[in-house]
Amino acid sequence: MKTIELTTNTPFEGELALRLWRGADGCLVASHGGEGVPVTVARCFPWSDPTRFVSLRDGEDEEVALVRSPDELPEGSRKVLEEELAIAGFVFEVESLMAVDEEIEIRTFHVRTRQGERRFQTHRDEWPRTVPGGGLLIRDVVGDLYLVREPGGLDRHSAKLLWPFLD
Amino acid sequence: MTIAATLDASERRSLETDRRVLERYTDQPAQMPDELRRGIERRMDGDAVQLYALADLDASLRLSETWLALGERHVAVAHPRPGRSEIRVFARDRIQDVRLEPGLSSNSLLVLGPDDEPLLARLRFSHRQRRAMENIQFVLEQALAGQTVARADADQVYAESVAAPVREAQALVAGNDMAVLWRLLTYLAPYKGQVAFGMVSAALLTALTLVPPYLTGFLIDEVIGPVQDGSKSLADVQGIAWWSVAAIAATYTLRQACAWARLRWMAILGEHVARDLRTEIYAHLQRLSLSFYSRKKTGSLITRVTSDTDRLWEFLALGVIDVSLSVVMLLGLSAVLIHLDWKLGLVMTAPLPFLCLWVFFHGRRMNQLFLRAWRKWSSLTDVVSDTIPGMRVVKAFNQEGRERERFVGRNTSVTTEFNRIHDVWTSFWPAMMLVVRGLVVVVWVLAVPRLLGADSELGQTLSSGTFVAFLMYLVLFIAPIEIIGQMARIMNRATSSAHRIFEVLDTEPQVVDPPDAVRLSPVSGSVSFENVCFGYDGVRQVIKNMSFEVAPGEVIGLVGPSGGGKTTVTNLIARFYDVTGGTLRIDGVDIRELDSGHYRDQLGIVLQDPYLFHGTVVENIRYGNPQASFDDVVGAAMAANAHDFLCKLPNGYETMVGERGHTLSGGERQRISIARAILHDPRILILDEATSSVDTETEYKIQEALDRLTAGRTVFAIAHRLSTLRRADRILVVEDGQLVEQGTHAELLALENGTYRRLCQLQLELSGREGEPMTEVLA
Repeated sequence: MKTIELTTNTPFEGELALRLWRGADGCLVASHGGEGVPVTVARCFPWSDPTRFVSLRDGEDEEVALVRSPDELPEGSRKVLEEELAIAGFVFEVESLMAVDEEIEIRTFHVRTRQGERRFQTHRDEWPRTVPGGGLLIRDVVGDLYLVREPGGLDRHSAKLLWPFLD
Repeated sequence: MTIAATLDASERRSLETDRRVLERYTDQPAQMPDELRRGIERRMDGDAVQLYALADLDASLRLSETWLALGERHVAVAHPRPGRSEIRVFARDRIQDVRLEPGLSSNSLLVLGPDDEPLLARLRFSHRQRRAMENIQFVLEQALAGQTVARADADQVYAESVAAPVREAQALVAGNDMAVLWRLLTYLAPYKGQVAFGMVSAALLTALTLVPPYLTGFLIDEVIGPVQDGSKSLADVQGIAWWSVAAIAATYTLRQACAWARLRWMAILGEHVARDLRTEIYAHLQRLSLSFYSRKKTGSLITRVTSDTDRLWEFLALGVIDVSLSVVMLLGLSAVLIHLDWKLGLVMTAPLPFLCLWVFFHGRRMNQLFLRAWRKWSSLTDVVSDTIPGMRVVKAFNQEGRERERFVGRNTSVTTEFNRIHDVWTSFWPAMMLVVRGLVVVVWVLAVPRLLGADSELGQTLSSGTFVAFLMYLVLFIAPIEIIGQMARIMNRATSSAHRIFEVLDTEPQVVDPPDAVRLSPVSGSVSFENVCFGYDGVRQVIKNMSFEVAPGEVIGLVGPSGGGKTTVTNLIARFYDVTGGTLRIDGVDIRELDSGHYRDQLGIVLQDPYLFHGTVVENIRYGNPQASFDDVVGAAMAANAHDFLCKLPNGYETMVGERGHTLSGGERQRISIARAILHDPRILILDEATSSVDTETEYKIQEALDRLTAGRTVFAIAHRLSTLRRADRILVVEDGQLVEQGTHAELLALENGTYRRLCQLQLELSGREGEPMTEVLA
């Protein structure tokens, strides 16, 4: 399938319009005109502009289409795309910090996330990074991501523990 | 059916460590709950659980507990529930495909059934579970491809795959901090005498510190006072007075002698222990197998040999005694003060615990500040280490101004942080001293009425001598409080260094020779692979059931896509790793039976990026054979086409090469490494893409050198450029860990749809020679 770009100024309509739906197995399927291909989504700018510039990729990890803005998609397709983006963009959301322990070569964070309580470790010389919008993103030794959406809005104890990592 | 794999002692130890890591660092079970496992096995008709993994996210992406278990014929998805667990089982033969969809923090494993049917299972999990899930995916995929996978213990595979990232990131030694400190102190055992001498000098030093104030008090009360109020005559006391002064002088002299003895002996002793540790760790590093080095970062290992041992010197030379004597000193001082005058003594000693606590909290605050400053500091050094090597790019894009601003911004924030630190400590110590002086004032307030005899009919209840001695003791309080405040930091630094060192010392080499190892002299060079399997970790196999025979003197080309297992084959031949299944024989003897040192003496390796050691060219050529004569060295260099360019260098064969041979070009370094291999005169030679990083002319020269080198030896040559293989007697095509084709160049080209044929076509196209007949590709 050839890459067809959807641009913001040329709304895509007609027979070749990109459509997205869920297949019988629950996977996301894309098609523009022809037969549907199971696709996965990849964001170009996961932190600065998470809803736009979404690359749809097939099983070989080749781009099927680049959705510059989901607004250009028909209602149904947009909805499934947004659902899929929510899953693919999933990160743990930290609500409060219980403890931060410095150990020999690692640092253990004990946190309460929106998804439940969790302990995770980072290398001691790896630092959380700030993401556009003021959030703080912590990556653990395995690669799981933990987002503190509003470091300013944390409770006193959490804020105190997080203070060394803030700008 | 039972699990085939049983664990030996070291595997059992490793499983226990993994479980400890899981318990300490994660919130998930260290193994599948027994009851659940039994329930699953019942539901799978007695099919034993071979592998399992935890899916820690549910459909709505909340943390939860779902287990995926794999049996011989079934797959189970289970949610443990109190009472009755929810278990869903389906047959493995219904599986058509397994897909893993990675996300930022959530991954999905999709198990697909026959077309148009709903998914058999969709499991969501964080990256923490990914290795365990990938193991299951791998086994299922292998089964779909009609291959079986060597059995492993399910609990071990699960615990290892979850614990591995933490274990790789951290030095983790069995035992707690105290056990580690104790073990460190055992390194003092060979120096018992010196330790005792150091301890005695230190104890004496402490005791002597307490003497001068006492003598001063004595002088005032027994000599100066009585003479001044006329109760004793000058003649009576003159002798005692001078004797007292002499005693004070002697005490001071002795005290400083002890200080010297203590410092000198302990510093020297610490250096001996650090040397012992360095020697031991370096010797152990030489023994360890290559698998250890692929797990640990080079930098981290270098610091263990260098700065960690240095830190331990600091601890052994100063820390141990400082800390223990400070405690003794404080207790001793308190006792002396209370003995001199219990009321005044209590004023000073009662607040002591609070002062120590205060110092402790100050330390904690400083840690927070240091952490923040350290982070800012590393962001500053990042800019520098980023832009200086990239200066050409900075200049080309005219970004000097922006880089300067970026630096200034970070520099300012580093300064802010350090100034914050200075604010805190500079105000802490004066405040601390103010409190101590405040206590001294309280002592004065309480003492003055008693000195003047104003509050009692008994007159003076405190002698001036006692009071002066008291004041002198007060001064001695300050230093021990300071040291005890830093105790936590000193201990922390020492234990973390000790942990890192002991981790290396506790790692066992994986390639071990049997006690009655066979020595083949000489190796004739026949190599045989019989159903060899190998994996670096977990159940994932890099070499799958590979069999082939190589006769002595045969030149074998290893060809195939990258990541297919070619280098692994040569690693096994060199015995850098032991096979995990099947047998590898050298001259008909199992390679695990061989004396590996003696065997490698007859083995030569030329790598793509040859490693030359710091030193001269001749030292490098003689690396494997330090006794070689200059005659042999020149001969080897000539055969390697290196003699000519070496003669053009001003220092000839005695040119220094940098750590990575900076002064020489890639092709020149390669030829030196070939000369090194020629001089080593190996029976089996491994060439790992020896010509892939040089230009055509150099390649020709290297090729010529290699042709001379390979004569009469068994050779395994890995090649990307197929032209390197024109001398090969036989070519083995390795793809996806399997031997897919073997034969001569012509035989392999004759295979329609063959992998080798495809690779040749690709190379012709790349070099713009697609029209030419393929037999020419090696020309």
